[in-house]
Amino acid sequence: MFATVRCRRLILTAVALLSAIAHLGATDAPGKPRRIVSLNMCVDELVLRIAEPQNIASVTWLSRDPKNSNVAELGARIPVNHGLAEEIIPLNPDLIIAGIYTARTAVAMLKRVGIPVLEIGVPKSLDDVRAQIREIAGLIGERERGESVVADMDRRLAALPHPPSSDRPRAVVLNPNGATVGKGTLVDEIMTRAGLTNVAAELGIDSYGQIPLEAVAANAVDVLIVSASRDGPPALATEILRHPVLAALSDRTRVVVMPGRLWNCGGPAVVEAIERLMQIATEIRAEAQPK
Amino acid sequence: MMCASAVDPVRHGRVPPYSVLVAGLAILVVILMGASLAIGYAPLDLVQAFRDVLKGEKTLATLVLTELRLPRALLGCFVGLSLGISGAAMQGLLRNPLAEPGIIGVSGAAAFGAVTVFYFGLAGALSLALPLGGIAGAAAATFLLYGLSGRGAGTMTLILAGVAINSFAGALTSLALNLSPNPYAVTEIVFWLLGSLADRSLPYVWLILPLMIIGWGLLLVSGPALDGLTLGEDTAKSLGFDLGRLRLQLIAGTALAVGSAVAVTGAIAFVGLVVPHLLRPLVAHRPGRLLLVSGLGGAALTLAADITVRLLPIRPELKLGVVTAIIGAPFLFGLIYRLREEEA
Amino acid sequence: MEIEAQGIAIRFGPVALLEGVDLAMRGGEMVGLIGPNGSGKTTLLRVLANLRAPEAGRVHYAGRTAAEIGTRELSRQIAYLAQGGAVHWPMRVETLVALGRLPHRRPFQGHDAADRHAIERAMTAADVAYLRTRTMGQISGGERLRVLLARALAVDARVLLADEPIAALDPLHQLQVMELLRMIASEGRGVIVVLHDLALATRFCDRLILLARGGILVEGAPAHVLTDAHVAEAYGVEVVRGERDGVPFLLPWKPSAQSEGDVP
Repeated sequence: MFATVRCRRLILTAVALLSAIAHLGATDAPGKPRRIVSLNMCVDELVLRIAEPQNIASVTWLSRDPKNSNVAELGARIPVNHGLAEEIIPLNPDLIIAGIYTARTAVAMLKRVGIPVLEIGVPKSLDDVRAQIREIAGLIGERERGESVVADMDRRLAALPHPPSSDRPRAVVLNPNGATVGKGTLVDEIMTRAGLTNVAAELGIDSYGQIPLEAVAANAVDVLIVSASRDGPPALATEILRHPVLAALSDRTRVVVMPGRLWNCGGPAVVEAIERLMQIATEIRAEAQPK
Repeated sequence: MMCASAVDPVRHGRVPPYSVLVAGLAILVVILMGASLAIGYAPLDLVQAFRDVLKGEKTLATLVLTELRLPRALLGCFVGLSLGISGAAMQGLLRNPLAEPGIIGVSGAAAFGAVTVFYFGLAGALSLALPLGGIAGAAAATFLLYGLSGRGAGTMTLILAGVAINSFAGALTSLALNLSPNPYAVTEIVFWLLGSLADRSLPYVWLILPLMIIGWGLLLVSGPALDGLTLGEDTAKSLGFDLGRLRLQLIAGTALAVGSAVAVTGAIAFVGLVVPHLLRPLVAHRPGRLLLVSGLGGAALTLAADITVRLLPIRPELKLGVVTAIIGAPFLFGLIYRLREEEA
Repeated sequence: MEIEAQGIAIRFGPVALLEGVDLAMRGGEMVGLIGPNGSGKTTLLRVLANLRAPEAGRVHYAGRTAAEIGTRELSRQIAYLAQGGAVHWPMRVETLVALGRLPHRRPFQGHDAADRHAIERAMTAADVAYLRTRTMGQISGGERLRVLLARALAVDARVLLADEPIAALDPLHQLQVMELLRMIASEGRGVIVVLHDLALATRFCDRLILLARGGILVEGAPAHVLTDAHVAEAYGVEVVRGERDGVPFLLPWKPSAQSEGDVP
């Protein structure tokens, strides 16, 4: 039975390969790709926002989940993939975009079969975000749409007040197992732009690192940013909130839930992340005012 | 006929008196607990903090001391105690220096219980869902072991049952993680399973302490029976020991002591294997006396390893289970190598 | 203490090893349990030591069953010396002999004067006192066996059941151990010893019980038991007899006529 399954896979791959080669030779309308495939959740969002729906062949299944995706309604009408090469090859894609850390085996397989895959990294700053939007827009052949998304983002950013340089509430991201985000990351820039001081950056943590609860307790943290909501499915991310230390500090430290979809990816949603944090910062400053 | 288990080099010197040894180890444990309280990530005036605690004042320093450092030190001591005593008990029962507490499957079952109860929300909104799940898993393994080994079956059956339970629990844990409603469950729990004392709170300690105390009691009273087993099962029976009851007692004791430890800290490897082995010559190879000595040694080793983990400049903090495995595995290789030489 | 066994049957599944065995031993006598390989000597001894329940029949110790006496009390009355002498941890001789006091101890209690006295006496009787600080790995086979015997003596029980205690010993030590067992019996204790050596069995035992063909072939005084006919029937060998200092002895000499034709 094993031999038969392998045989079927081989035949499937061969057929797909032959048809792909046949199509390569065929005259396609020059210009935009018509069968775009995204293998990465962050790329999904940009593709869905920028490309025409009829030009998108497939996005990942994660884009349909409203808890994880900012574009769930857009993704609802597009066929989904699970990051498997078997699903991708029959779609006969002319543009595949993946992340550099995900779907590694599928990407390796696709490259081996001769289909070009473009890999996009993780943005480390707002400038990186802008650059990525433009790059993907260029690949998709919709430069103007890309520019308009960036312009929209910049407009919303400009509309935000500039945060004061002093009196910045102290905040830290606390993920499961003490993971946190330090300087040189998109999250750090978002926090800074929102008028918060990133305690992890202050402690010298570079990029992604770990912060023990002792450091959280001892560093006068005003805002604790967690990634999961307490009414979601059970998660270690929220278990830590029950720790007596955080309970004892609760009059000084407030807990804020920042859904990962807002700032894990480099898309226009980062502005909403900044807006939310800015709101929190303003509230804290107001509370601290002598009455 | 001498068993191949006689690896330890013969000590020509004198063995320290038992009471001196126990007292010395106990003092070492107390010192290490003090060191554990003094070491951490936030600058802390320990003496001042103690004074404030005694006065009943609540400051940041007392908070860090009582809610972060104290549970960590206590857990290091209690978990190490459990691992040491049950490791010595298992080696005594099986008359084999390669035995360790996880051999009967309790740790694997505890990990499975913790993962399942927590991620499927089976404990409702109860805090402490994770350790309660672990204890439930250990209890389930205990019933299974009782059913499989019963009063008539022998020690080999017990080992095989443990192997089966470990494999099964491991597979089910992966399945539970696969099916869990939280898509980040795997990443979260992998680090928990590696074993760590970091950021555990006092409620966890109070939850497992009564269970551990009962477990320690059950294990410690088995000392004379383990001494009798030195001469084989028939002789032990003729000396008045009920081996079936002994096995059940050791299963229950290990499940309570080690199962609850794993439920809170994840699996900390090799302490239960290494410590009894190192300390056996100091008690003149008497399995009964080794129990308490090995418990105190286990507490000392766990505390020392946890202190090391915090002193090392590696960030993120190394998981304790990883450190004990890195030290313990080469030790195990050395042990097997010497056993092999003895048999040759 | 007397041991009385009635109607003992030992079966392993459908295979019967022994059927209908009746046996008695009184204090002060040394009984030899002999028979060819596989005749059930060790298993019968284990039944008498209450280590294995018989499939049929009962054993009475001074008129009471094991259940009535209780395991703990019984362990103070009966000392069992297992075959082979496995020792799993390299303990010191002193500590090993002290294990014989376990039936008398409560948990977490040390040795009292009575314990220490019993241990010393046992080590002296078995002549291992000079080895007290050595470990088992540092002494010879004969010494090791004497240490295990000292351990059994330390129990200070009224009955000693020994399973092939002299199997691996050199002639000197064989004689010494048999003398020691003889002496123990003469103190008023009962001794049952499983033996292969017919010569020693004849010389030292008060009574012999010969097991063969699934039951007791014959029992009684050595002269009555070890006739040429019985020996040939049980062992399939011919013996040569002699006498020295008024004590008769016998030596197995060659396979008997019947067994020469048997398949080995």
